[in-house]
Amino acid sequence: MPDRPTRIDLIRNIERALRDESLQRQMGKAMPASRKARADAAAELPEWESLRSAAAEIKDHVLANLESYLGQLESQVRALGGVVHWASDAAEARVIITDLARSRGVRRIVKSKSMTTEEIFLNPALESAGASVVETDLGEYVVQLAGERPSHLIAPVVHKPTGEISDLFVKKLGVPRYERPEDLARVAREVLRAEFLAAEMGITGVNFAIAETGTLVIVENEGNARLTTARPRIHVAVMGIEKVLPRLADLSVFLRILARSGTGQRSSVYVSLLTGRRRVGETDGPEELHLVILDNGRRRLLADPDLRGALRCIRCGACQNECPVYQHAGGHAYGSVYAGPIGAVLTPAYEGLEQARDLPFASTLCRACADVCPVKIDLPGMLVELRARAVRTGLAPRRDRMLVGAWTFFTRSPARFVLAGSLGRLAQRLLARGGKIERLPYPLSGWTAHRTAPLLASRPFRKRWKPPQEGPQ
Amino acid sequence: MNREALFIERAGQVGVTVIAVGTLDEAVERAVELCRERRVQRAALWDAPEMAPIRAGLRAEGVEILDPRGSFETLAHAEIGITGADWGVAETGTIVLASGPGQPQAASLLPPLHLAVLRADRIVPDLATLLELCGPLPSALVFITGPSRSADIGLVPVLGAHGPTAVTVLLVAG
Ligand code: SF4
Repeated sequence: MPDRPTRIDLIRNIERALRDESLQRQMGKAMPASRKARADAAAELPEWESLRSAAAEIKDHVLANLESYLGQLESQVRALGGVVHWASDAAEARVIITDLARSRGVRRIVKSKSMTTEEIFLNPALESAGASVVETDLGEYVVQLAGERPSHLIAPVVHKPTGEISDLFVKKLGVPRYERPEDLARVAREVLRAEFLAAEMGITGVNFAIAETGTLVIVENEGNARLTTARPRIHVAVMGIEKVLPRLADLSVFLRILARSGTGQRSSVYVSLLTGRRRVGETDGPEELHLVILDNGRRRLLADPDLRGALRCIRCGACQNECPVYQHAGGHAYGSVYAGPIGAVLTPAYEGLEQARDLPFASTLCRACADVCPVKIDLPGMLVELRARAVRTGLAPRRDRMLVGAWTFFTRSPARFVLAGSLGRLAQRLLARGGKIERLPYPLSGWTAHRTAPLLASRPFRKRWKPPQEGPQ
Repeated sequence: MNREALFIERAGQVGVTVIAVGTLDEAVERAVELCRERRVQRAALWDAPEMAPIRAGLRAEGVEILDPRGSFETLAHAEIGITGADWGVAETGTIVLASGPGQPQAASLLPPLHLAVLRADRIVPDLATLLELCGPLPSALVFITGPSRSADIGLVPVLGAHGPTAVTVLLVAG
């Protein structure tokens, strides 16, 4: 099963997204609200900027000492009776988890929201191993019923209007048509409660793993992750290698910035610090605890000095809410698990620049993402670096190379620049209709695909501009 | 603002009802009242010394007390879960619950109403202080900030997505 069959056709995806009126309406509502919530929550803390710096510093320290913290985490989790599995790629992770399910005769699995398990395409693998897998986060449940993939890190179903969810529930669950979100949520709660009670295995992601104590930290609002870890006999937690933190004390910085950046809450509703499996005399918590630690391209990224900072990411989604491209393109256009600015860095890094060569170009480089990122990832800088690599390796589209070549030629000297202006004015005599240009020829045709081009002034600025009189200061 | 006042304000802002009481006896009274109002027939109670008077009070009202060591299925039938709270965090209006024998997560998670008894002197100013003080970790230490919620459908906040629809804290003067 190839994880990524073809190159991501970003341009076609975005064109489709722009024609999708319900998507545009949804995003137009959701994104400004999320941005405001984040901004208000950050403004409430005078120490916001120093929290961001502290978080970035801790993450960099971890990345510089990653193997030793991972080793410490492993031995702590083992000491608590857990089993640690190392997966070098998605395929290995799938084998580890499906083998666990098969060898223990697991037929029913509940999952709480986890981008890492999305990344490894876990659900189809478990299903072909004969187990049913149910996503229990409300948004993920809707996405699963619809046979789609999540489109946002925090709000997986932000792309879907309520009416479509009503129809989906009628069709898939055979319930009457409910219009109100609270009724739909109640229906889902009932269906999922039964799943929790019946499941033998619960699979979750991990927000932070504490090396010092072997604690797995899971952050959520709904309580489904608590149910997933408290009830089933087996808990399988899946984490990327970058999720480890040195000490319990480091957690406060991250919990403070994560909730505020993601949803504008001071704290998420539930933060579970899970330390080992069920203990003597206890009646909930898993009897078996498995921690799967995933590489899947992360160590390669770690070895890349220009891009390794992307491993600081805590998946808060703020860069997505802020990005003018994401806001209109929606998450699915990015053709991968991770969307938005962070996706435009991670997808080429994990899956190869050939597959995702357009993604680094899907940015205006306005820096809005970098301004809000709670761990101060230089996303625009990384996008520029990836663009440069695309050009150097001949992956940039021919059109772009032609345009940049022409630009380079004409801006080499003042004389050439003047020549360019004259040629342009000559050409626009043929192209202009009624004071504007409706259609430019290749390689400029992209410019006029959705708008008209302005005309060059008949007298260039250079000729109109008078230098100020030099005089005594 | 002192810690206690800040806790009450912040917990209120996330939809938690905080009832300040002077003594544990008063807490028992309020717990019984609440169950009466809600016509509670079954309650899941933590097994803890400070829960004993509440248990006795509810029994006298004819409320069935479910064994906290019972199965998830049984505890799922409770209309209220009554637990202690090990800590409160003022900055976020959070209560912190450590699980242990007789103190299952199920009690704060399955019933539609969660009632937690918190001593005012257990309120710390912020998360950093809590992490310094909380000592050896139990199998599950859970920070709870308001009732279970989701805004996944239509961006409309809904309470009780999977856990309780309402959280009430009985804040007992320290
Ligand atoms: S890159 Fe930064 S802003 Fe974007 S999801 Fe990651 S942590 Fe959040």
